[in-house]
Parts: sequence; C-alpha cells; structure tokens
Amino acid sequence: MVSDATTRQTTRWSSPRFRVPRSFGAIAIATVLVFALGAVVAPSSVSHSAIIGMVPFAAVLAIAGLGQLLVVQQGGIDLSVAGGISLAVVVVTHQPDGDDARLGAAVVMAIGFAIGAGLVNGLLVSRLRLSSIIATLGTNSLLYGAVFAVSGGTPRSTTRLLAGIAGDLSWGIPRSAFFAVAALAVVWVLTKKTVAGRRFEAIGANRAAARAVGLRVHVHHTLAFVWAQLLYCLAGILLAGITNQPTAFQGDSLLLPSVAVVVLAGTSLLGGRGFPVSTVIAAVFLRELQQLVLALGVDTSVQTLVQAIALAVGVALYSIHWSSVRRWLFGRNPSGATYP
Amino acid sequence: MKRRRPVSLLAATFVAALASIGCNSRSSSTGAGSGEVTHLAGAPDWCGTKKATLAQLDGFGGNSWRLVTTASGEDEVKKCASVTSYQYANGNGDTQKSISDIQAFAAKGVDAMVVFGDAGQAMLPAIRSAYKAGVVVVPYRVEVGGKAGVDYTQFVGASFVNDGVSWGRWIKSILPRGGNLLFLSGPKGNSQGNDELKGMKTVLDDSYKFLNEAPYDVTNWDPALTQTVLTAEIAKNPKIDVIVSDFGPSLVGALPVFTKSGRSIPAIATSDGNALGCFWKDNQAANPDFKLFTVATGNDNVRLAVDWAVAKATGGKPPESTTFEAPSFEDSVGGKPHSVECEPSLPGDIYLSAQLPKEAQVAAINRK
Repeated sequence: MVSDATTRQTTRWSSPRFRVPRSFGAIAIATVLVFALGAVVAPSSVSHSAIIGMVPFAAVLAIAGLGQLLVVQQGGIDLSVAGGISLAVVVVTHQPDGDDARLGAAVVMAIGFAIGAGLVNGLLVSRLRLSSIIATLGTNSLLYGAVFAVSGGTPRSTTRLLAGIAGDLSWGIPRSAFFAVAALAVVWVLTKKTVAGRRFEAIGANRAAARAVGLRVHVHHTLAFVWAQLLYCLAGILLAGITNQPTAFQGDSLLLPSVAVVVLAGTSLLGGRGFPVSTVIAAVFLRELQQLVLALGVDTSVQTLVQAIALAVGVALYSIHWSSVRRWLFGRNPSGATYP
Repeated sequence: MKRRRPVSLLAATFVAALASIGCNSRSSSTGAGSGEVTHLAGAPDWCGTKKATLAQLDGFGGNSWRLVTTASGEDEVKKCASVTSYQYANGNGDTQKSISDIQAFAAKGVDAMVVFGDAGQAMLPAIRSAYKAGVVVVPYRVEVGGKAGVDYTQFVGASFVNDGVSWGRWIKSILPRGGNLLFLSGPKGNSQGNDELKGMKTVLDDSYKFLNEAPYDVTNWDPALTQTVLTAEIAKNPKIDVIVSDFGPSLVGALPVFTKSGRSIPAIATSDGNALGCFWKDNQAANPDFKLFTVATGNDNVRLAVDWAVAKATGGKPPESTTFEAPSFEDSVGGKPHSVECEPSLPGDIYLSAQLPKEAQVAAINRK
C-alpha cells in the first residue's frame, strides 16, 4: 500500500492551531543530542570557531536540500543537483574572472542556466513522463557539459565581492546563514501559506486525484524542478564565495547529503507533504555530526560510516512500521492471537 | 568433421594475416631509441636528427594546473625541430578513454608518447602494448608499475620525498626547538602524501608533533573539505605552528577561518600558486605568524618526460636524471630563492614557479 507523508506523519503535539510534525521533534532532538554529545566527548566540536566554520556549509546544504525537497514532494529525485551547483560555481567565478563589476552579469547568467535546466527537467519528467532519476541524470550530464563549455573545467578564484557577501560575518553570524533563512522563509511561505503551495502538496500526495479535481499537475510539477534549480544556483553561488578557490566539481559532494537531509526531515520519497524547517535542521545535524567525527579524530572510513549510519537510522525511523516490528518480535498482536 | 575444415582454414588464414599485420606495423620490435647518439645543431642535447612525431596523453586535463602543464609540454617540444608533429589527448578522468587514447595513437603510428597515467597500474597493459609495438613510451609523475626497458622506455617520476625534505628543513629553520604541525594531503592512501611525510620525517625529530590523523588529514584536495577539516583542527588545537599542505591554492579559502577565530594564520609550507602568493601579500601584515614557504608545483615535470621521449625517438642524448625534483620557490623569511611572488593583475590559477612565461600560462588557461 502506498502512503504519503500526509497520512503517515501523525502529530504528537497537536492542537487545532499549533501542529508540530513528529519528524520535527525527531530531527530537533537528534540535533540537540549531537551538540550535547559533542560538548561531552569532543568539546572543540561545539566551540565558537567550529560553529562559525560549520554554519556556512550547513547553510549551503540546507539550501540545496530545500531544492531537493520540492522535487521529492512531487515524488521524484533530482540527481542534477551536482551539475546545477557546479555550473553556478563555475559561472560566477569564471565569467567575472576576479572583476567585481562583472559579478552581477554572471549571477544573471547562472540564474538563466538554472531556469533552463529546471525547465528541461520538468518537461522531461512531467510531459514526456520519464523517470525523474533518468531525466535528471541526463540533465546532470548536460550541465557538466556546460561546465566544460564555459570554463574548460577550470573555475577561477572568487571575486572579492562574492567572497565578502558569502564568506564574511555580520553581527558575528556567517552571512550564508541569512541566505539559508531567507530561502527557508520563501519555501515555507510558498508551500504552506499560499493556495498554490497547498495545491503543490496535494498534487505530490496523489497526482491522479489532483488531476481529477482539475489541478494543473504539469505546471506544478515542472515548477518544482525550476525552483529546485534556482535554489541549487543560490547554493552554488554561496559555495563559490565560501571556498574562494573552488573546483569545477564542487556540487558532487552535495548530491547524497541533499537527499539525506530531505529524508532525515521526514519527507516521504513517495511525495506529498514536505518539511522545510526540519530539512534545514537536518542540514545542521549532518554538518555538526561531521564536525563531531572530525573533532574525535577517527579514521576517514569511520567518518563516512557514521554518516551512512545516521542516514540509515533516519530512513528507518520514518519508513519502518515499528508497531508491526514489535508485534513480530513479541510474536503476538494486540488481540492476543499468535502469528504463524 | 569434413565440413568444418574450410572454416578452420579460413580462421587460420585470418589469424596469420593479423599476425603479419602486427609484425609489419613497426620495423623494430620494442620501443625505438637504440643506435648512435645524434644532435641537431642549435637544439638542446636531447634533440637528435631523426624526424619523429610525439603525442602527449593526459589522464585528466580539466584544471588549470593540467592546462599549464600541457602547455609546458608543448613548449618543450618546440625546442626540437626534429619533432614534426605534436598531438594531445585528454582522458577526461575516464580510464577507458585514457587507454583507448594510447591505443589510438599507437595505431596511428606516432613515434613517441609521454603519458600522465592518472589511473596508475590500470594503464600498464596499454602502455606495454604500445611499447612492444615500437613506440617510445615515457610515463611520468604517476607510477604505473612495470619496468623500464620491459614495459615502457623510461618512467620519469617526481620526488615527493624531496618536497617533504625541503619543507622539513624550512620548518626546522623557523622552529628549531620543535613545534606542532598539521599535515594536509589529498585522498586517503595517496602515495604522494606518504612520500612527503617520509621526506619530512628524515629531517624532523620527535620534538615536531603532527597533530593530524596519521599519516595526514584527508582533504581530497577539495577546497570545501579542506576548509571543513581545517575548521575542526583549529577548534581542536589551540596551538598550530605550521600547516603543511601539498596543494597550496586549496588553502586560500580555508585560512580565513583563523582570523574569524581571532587567531593569527600560522606558518605555511606548501606548493606555489599565484592565488596563494597574493593571499599572503594581502594578509601577512595582520597575521604576524603567517610565514610562507613553497616548492614549485611541478608543472615542469612534463618537460623532463618530453626530453626523454624526444631523445629516444630522434636519437638525441637522454637527460641524466629520471626524476623531477621540484625546486624550492618562495620563502617569506629568507627570501631565497625568491621572496613571495604575486601578480594581482593575472589569474590566481597560474604558477609563477613554472618555466612557461606567465603570459603563455594565461593564454593556456584561457583557451576554453
């Protein structure tokens, strides 16, 4: 039986006006636990400098995760996140070539590429009915083709202006965090507080029913990919500013984490209801977990394993029907009858 | 049984024909280059009089370092008029393509090839078969296994141990009583980092403590991961005296983490890059501990490989060395052999240590 996040997510703390999804509680508690564990076993992982260093990368992951969230809400997976971010990085570094005056035009160009890539993805998946994995994999290759066409695979150093905008601090907080909060606000308001947003979630939950009641399924579906690419573009621009001397493949390392934060936030991979706030918290969780493991000084292979286990636990938490597992383990169902 | 005979005969004829094609494709059985040494007047010693064609094969050509290296190889070839044709192929990081590039050039009848075998030992069968077909094959920088004279003409390596020794000596000169070091290298298990550490340990005793996970902190040479790793190390270690990194330019994005934490950037021992030199000039005044020492990034490794390949293919005198030792380049303390260099008007992605003139480097990275 197919269930979506709307039906699967029961609310624990609910009142007619205030409803908090269970996933929010789980990821929030997990994040607090990571910080608390860090404070006990590796205090350097929660020191001021570690947090200041971690936040920009969490912000980039959060923005990429929000993009991925929109696609997942429509029942898809966007594998072109790597190409989208890498292309934005290359365009905003290679085109200005260190000249601040040319940064604006480069950003416009990057946005143009993002809209184009989003439309290609959307049309392939929505109109031509291709699987999103196949369509976005193809688009990812096209985007990397564009990376090579634009730059020959060699981005330049970031302009001083971009390094300042993305990498500096304001009131002691990394500026990239403000961009992440702004992106979250836009996604949250659009999906939760507008009629279009409610339709968007409804279409993701059950496309056939949405079509039956006359909703414009194709348009919403296509726009999910376009918005996602715009968010990847923002993530790429920030990443270019944060790293100063980026590579042409900077987006590759964000592909799996972008899906992971969506899953950890409790959004069903089958589509439907999304959890933008939880997604951003999950990004902080994953990055802080990375800091903790690095601070503990364990082997690199263990670092990768810990992150994989965190992802597996996250998926298991929301995907497994735990009451059935309990019944299976104890050999009895609530009615007292034993299973064969 | 009788019916099968014509088929067997046909197959045998086909195999014999193939064998004869294979035997006749080259006059010599293995990599050329034997015979008397000749010298083309006005050219370097390694340039002989026999006409030859040369191909440069890259396993991965997609970054500025590779573009400058490729241009350096081409520049070296131009010194010898006996080389009648120069061609280049980029494997784009795809082992299959890199192998087929070698096979394609061998089939086209090129006389010599220099090979940047990024895929390591996976390249050896293709290299061996080109060598056995009579092509002068000179793999360089990345070890591909095998033996010179059996699997290829000559391997021209880079001495990363030597880089480690140079860094170790400089560290000892600025910190004679020992100190805390942080060593960052590329992917886990890369031999370059291991060799560099070996070199450092020949100079530095136990009073120099490595703070990183043994043998080095893994950064994959990725600026984002470098920044994350450095952030964790800065938070963990209140006293870092020197950071050693084998890819200097990737540090540029990460070093401001020190200033954001209210600490001075420490001394850095690394490889050169224009972006790093300019970063030092911009930040050294505000960071009293920020001393910089660099070795050449090694773009000129390819020149030694080209010298070997051309010498063997044209009948010139091969160079005496088979290993490229990167010279020290910048030292902000002693100023020798150079003080820190920066060309602010030029891209950060050029390498002032390379022999190739900076204008030619800019042209190389702007080709695309």
